[in-house]
Amino acid sequence: MSYAYLFKYIIIGDTGVGKSCLLLQFTDKRFQPVHDLTIGVEFGARMITIDSKYIKLQIWDTAGQEAFRSITRSYYRGAAGALLVYDITRRETFNHLTTWLDDARQHSNSNMVIMLIGNKSDLESRREVKKEEGEAFAREHGLIFMETSAKTAANVEEAFINTAKEIYEKIQEGVFDINNEANGIKIGPQHSPSNSNLSPGSKPPSQPSGCC
Amino acid sequence: MEYFKSGLKTVLGSQDPDQQPSGAETVERLVERVQSSTLLDDRRDACRALKALSRKYRVEVGAQGMDVLRFILETDKADCEIIGYALDTLCNVMSPNLFDEEENSEEQQALLHIGEQFTEMFLKRQENVTLVLSFLEEYDFKVRWPALKLLAVLLSNRLRDIQEIILVSPMGVSKLMDLLGDSREVIRNDTLLLLIQLTKSNANIQKIVAFENAFDRLFDVIVEEGCADGGIVVEDCFILMLNLLKNNSSNQNFFKEGSYIQKLCPMFALPPEGSDETCWGPQKVAILLCVLQVVRCLVSPANPGQVTLSCQKSLYSSGIFQALSSILMASGVPVNFLTEAICTLSEVVRGNQHNQQHFANVMAPINPPREAIIILLMSMVNEKQSFILRCSVLYCFQCYLFKNEVGQAQVVQTLLSPSYEDSNLVTCGQLLCSGLYSHDSLSNWLSAVALSHTLIENPAQRENLLRVLLSPDPNYRPVTLIHQVALLFQQSSKVQSKLGFLILLATWLSHCHLAVKHFLEVPTAIPYLAAQVGSTIGEDDNEELVPGLCAFVMGICILFNDGSASSYNKEALLHLLSNRVGLEVFSAKLCEVSRHEQYSRASKKPQPTATKPDELLLDYEFCKLFKALESMIIKAVNPKEPTNSSTEIVENGLVSEYKDVIREQDKKIAELQSRCDVLEREKGELKNSLEQLSSTMSRISDENTLLKAQLHSGSLQDNNHNLAIQVDGWRAECARKDTTIQSLEAELQRLHFNAIETKNLSSDPPASRESQPHSADLQSEVDRLTNDMDNLMDLLADQDRKLTLYKELLKAHGERIDDDDDTELDSPPPSQQSPEHNIV
Repeated sequence: MSYAYLFKYIIIGDTGVGKSCLLLQFTDKRFQPVHDLTIGVEFGARMITIDSKYIKLQIWDTAGQEAFRSITRSYYRGAAGALLVYDITRRETFNHLTTWLDDARQHSNSNMVIMLIGNKSDLESRREVKKEEGEAFAREHGLIFMETSAKTAANVEEAFINTAKEIYEKIQEGVFDINNEANGIKIGPQHSPSNSNLSPGSKPPSQPSGCC
Repeated sequence: MEYFKSGLKTVLGSQDPDQQPSGAETVERLVERVQSSTLLDDRRDACRALKALSRKYRVEVGAQGMDVLRFILETDKADCEIIGYALDTLCNVMSPNLFDEEENSEEQQALLHIGEQFTEMFLKRQENVTLVLSFLEEYDFKVRWPALKLLAVLLSNRLRDIQEIILVSPMGVSKLMDLLGDSREVIRNDTLLLLIQLTKSNANIQKIVAFENAFDRLFDVIVEEGCADGGIVVEDCFILMLNLLKNNSSNQNFFKEGSYIQKLCPMFALPPEGSDETCWGPQKVAILLCVLQVVRCLVSPANPGQVTLSCQKSLYSSGIFQALSSILMASGVPVNFLTEAICTLSEVVRGNQHNQQHFANVMAPINPPREAIIILLMSMVNEKQSFILRCSVLYCFQCYLFKNEVGQAQVVQTLLSPSYEDSNLVTCGQLLCSGLYSHDSLSNWLSAVALSHTLIENPAQRENLLRVLLSPDPNYRPVTLIHQVALLFQQSSKVQSKLGFLILLATWLSHCHLAVKHFLEVPTAIPYLAAQVGSTIGEDDNEELVPGLCAFVMGICILFNDGSASSYNKEALLHLLSNRVGLEVFSAKLCEVSRHEQYSRASKKPQPTATKPDELLLDYEFCKLFKALESMIIKAVNPKEPTNSSTEIVENGLVSEYKDVIREQDKKIAELQSRCDVLEREKGELKNSLEQLSSTMSRISDENTLLKAQLHSGSLQDNNHNLAIQVDGWRAECARKDTTIQSLEAELQRLHFNAIETKNLSSDPPASRESQPHSADLQSEVDRLTNDMDNLMDLLADQDRKLTLYKELLKAHGERIDDDDDTELDSPPPSQQSPEHNIV
């Protein structure tokens, strides 16, 4: 299926916070309770619509373990969006956010949209990090914030889509240079740079047939 | 050389021609100069000279100059020229190849690994590599190109180390990827070669390279260079693409999701009809073979099923399936490319019902049109076709039938009801049967194995194929196919043919009692098999397989024997085995098969890997069957030694059973644990709420007492009123009692009177005699009444007491009590009452 834009995302955060589960829930709509350690990075993709435009999300799910940190760094530069995930039932994953954020800010392009995600909101009884704390951290560092549950799928769609909306708005504002692929944004095959200055409300490509 | 010498002179000053310095001395002086010169120009000249000497005096330059050169790289970054010389020099020093200057030297052998050793020295400091990487960012050709070459040299010497260093150096891969967009072709092409090296079997680098838009860049280069008609650069692009995709399902997924499969399609465009053979030049074929490799790694049987399935779907929808089918049927296609195209199409079809169905419908562009499968099978049983092509057709047929019950049934059906009305048109089944009869042993093998694939995992077709009748000679009455195969097997003298027939028989008879019955009814089958198992012909290594496979078929006859073939039931066969062959020999022959080189070769992957006709002996699916049944057969024929093996098996069974139990219990424990946690939490919550409740309780009870107190003071008046009523009641009672007492007293008097009267009467004897009992009666009556009265008096006193008590109570509550009552009831005097009254 053709798309108007393609956004590259990365998912980062400590090991075991549910990065792969978030991706799996988003792309396959299923939950895998067994913790399968990610080695390096894994790829996933899905199409969404924003403003009645098809937007393809290409998502690189990174390994949270310290040993893979240097590999993960190679993915910052080319990403338009990042989901920074912590586990609301483990305080230390919240405490490490600053390290992650520093790393991301240092290696990414300055316009990268970062969404802070407190995952495992279904485990309310074991909560160690209050929602207000997450909100405060996000406010302080200029991030979007959301609590999700990869298990119940609560807010998972929203997390990915809201990030895309933010990027989309930045494009409309002209913040992103969409012709530079190093920003993690690509214009769809039928939206070559020459006619990319379509008005925001223009019709999406009418090709509902076929499947990606 | 003259120029070089004059260059040296300018650097080192003119020399006395008699005292030509040795190479080592020159190098030493140059190194010293690089180190100590304060002027950049001097350092640069010295570096240039070192570079010139680095080929001939590689050891000297490397040994003495390595540190200095690194120093230059760090300090003279601003000067592109000197950096270029330094990089070039390092490149020469570490080069893995021998230079022309070195080739005739005596120490040629010693020099072979010198590059590697210098590389090791250079890598002692990891920052050196980072330094070289940083020079890639310099646009100046004098720096960028040698830096690129140096990296290539380092990579070829120490692949793993450099991969790890580049992986952890920030933006290492990104810097390289940027070079792919360099407008200078040399840089771009060398970058391609470097990336091909770099991505070799390192999944992490492969993924980063893919993330850095490698596929887009590669397709840009491919289109720029003219696609399939381009040169070796296009081939390099596809080699890199292949590196990125091979065994990397994340990248395969990315490739598919990024719609890159569609971009492969134009590569398969066939040259226009009627163009000459020159359009299939070796470069084009090389490129196309690479593209086919790319397609194949997306649908490789070794991939995770999900990836293969979705890629197969994309390959169909993108038109590549169609393009490959056209290549199969086109003329003038070079055989090596055609073969690879057939294998590629096979894997695009393998196990995918949709694609299999469409493959069955592919028609060859001939008149009258025929199915492509028929044309392909014709080539397979045609001795004149090349071996690799015939093998690829077998693979294609196998992939077409893999997990394809409909396809299997269709092929078998062509044998059951031959289209007599159209006898010119040969069918799949007929082609395969003709292959069985062929004199060519390869045809026998290919046809037998192809036929066996119509039966895999398909019990219905095993029985259907039993009904097939053949009449090879019109003079004789037709015989069944299984009979025919058994005979062909006995008649053939070639190992390859025999093995082919045995593979067909083994597949056919396994899990099919009916087929075993039919086979056992072939008169000479079993004696021949037994003889083969026992025979010890074995000059040729491959001949060992025949007795092994014969043993396997016999084993299957025992294993799947329902006893309906009277002469050869299980016991009879076992008896025959132990008498004619010996169970030990039987087991030994069977075991030899799985130890055979050909067996391990065939079981590696579904595609036949033989390169020569006589290496094609076993089939992948057959090996799977053999693996599954071997141990069962051994067990079935060795019933007499259950002591060891069977107890072991039983024990193994037990162990695995217990393992299951433990696993089950583990699961339960985990479940319970989690439930326990939940309950614990619930308990905590309940405790909390209980505490809350009890505190509310005490608060409420406090309030209650308070309210009660308030209520009490408010209701005293009521209370007094009640008491007054009660007192009235008691008074009435008292009055009633008084009257009763009076009446009783009157009665008593009357009785008294009566008693006197009676006494008077008793003086009169007759009368007294008469009244004696009457008097006694009266006496007792009197006693009783007196008694009653006493009781009543007690009661009255009691009542009085009570009344007094209530009065006290009333007084205490401040009620006015009539004095008459008091006096009447003999209560305390009113004088004592009034002060109390006043208090209230």
